[in-house]
Amino acid sequence: MSNAALNIGQVRAGSVCIVTLAGRIDSTNANDVMAELTRLIGSGEKSILVDLGAVLYLTSAAFRALLVATDEAERQAARFALCNIAGHVRELFEMGGLLDAFAVHGSREEALKQFG
Amino acid sequence: MRRSVDFRIRNELSEIGIVRDALDALGRELGIPMKALSQLQVALDEVVSNVVKYSWDDGNKHEFLVRITVQPTRVDLEIFDDGREYDPRTAPSPGPATPGQRPRPGGLGIHMIRKLVDTFAYERIDGRNHTTLSKECSVGSAVQGSDK
Repeated sequence: MSNAALNIGQVRAGSVCIVTLAGRIDSTNANDVMAELTRLIGSGEKSILVDLGAVLYLTSAAFRALLVATDEAERQAARFALCNIAGHVRELFEMGGLLDAFAVHGSREEALKQFG
Repeated sequence: MRRSVDFRIRNELSEIGIVRDALDALGRELGIPMKALSQLQVALDEVVSNVVKYSWDDGNKHEFLVRITVQPTRVDLEIFDDGREYDPRTAPSPGPATPGQRPRPGGLGIHMIRKLVDTFAYERIDGRNHTTLSKECSVGSAVQGSDK
């Protein structure tokens, strides 16, 4: 049941690994997100972009997962950013006071330009 | 129109999927506006996961009750559990988030609840915790998906 609520996909754009999250990220599946992101960082990926454009909502468990991944990326000298945060999802980031806690880009294209 | 549904779930995080899907189905059927429904889902996840994680520390299986009540102008989420006495509203708020200094995650869920619902009430009755979250919204007037 929890697996159907969230899809974790992956595409590559040059040296950047783009992780697409679609659906709901809550306490039933936030650990899956954390596991996948820390696995990618551990496998040596140096540029990871998380696309939240298809996320319906996310809870504090999801924020924790993204914060853990941000810290892990820092430790491994990898670049880690989020993009496509809009509508309800953006409001949730604002409510949590969390927009400043992450590297946030508008669109995937803007993010890729920053990643260079 | 007043619809109230009760669920008895176990103190495991995976069980939260049951009440999440139930709230979704009620939202679709009765016409809870999309934005309010998303916010209620987040609040429900925060409050139920809190009970799962903190109400019992004996490592045993426990059951508790989640009640969802939908009325024309509001949605109530109630949790009844017989775990240790704990008022979730007393959790400290997280500090401001700044780059390089991650926010303390502890109180984030409770902070979110405060922002997402209009009423956040708690009482201890007959050895049970009773937590109530209420959100005012116009139910039934919005066709699902039409209000963004």
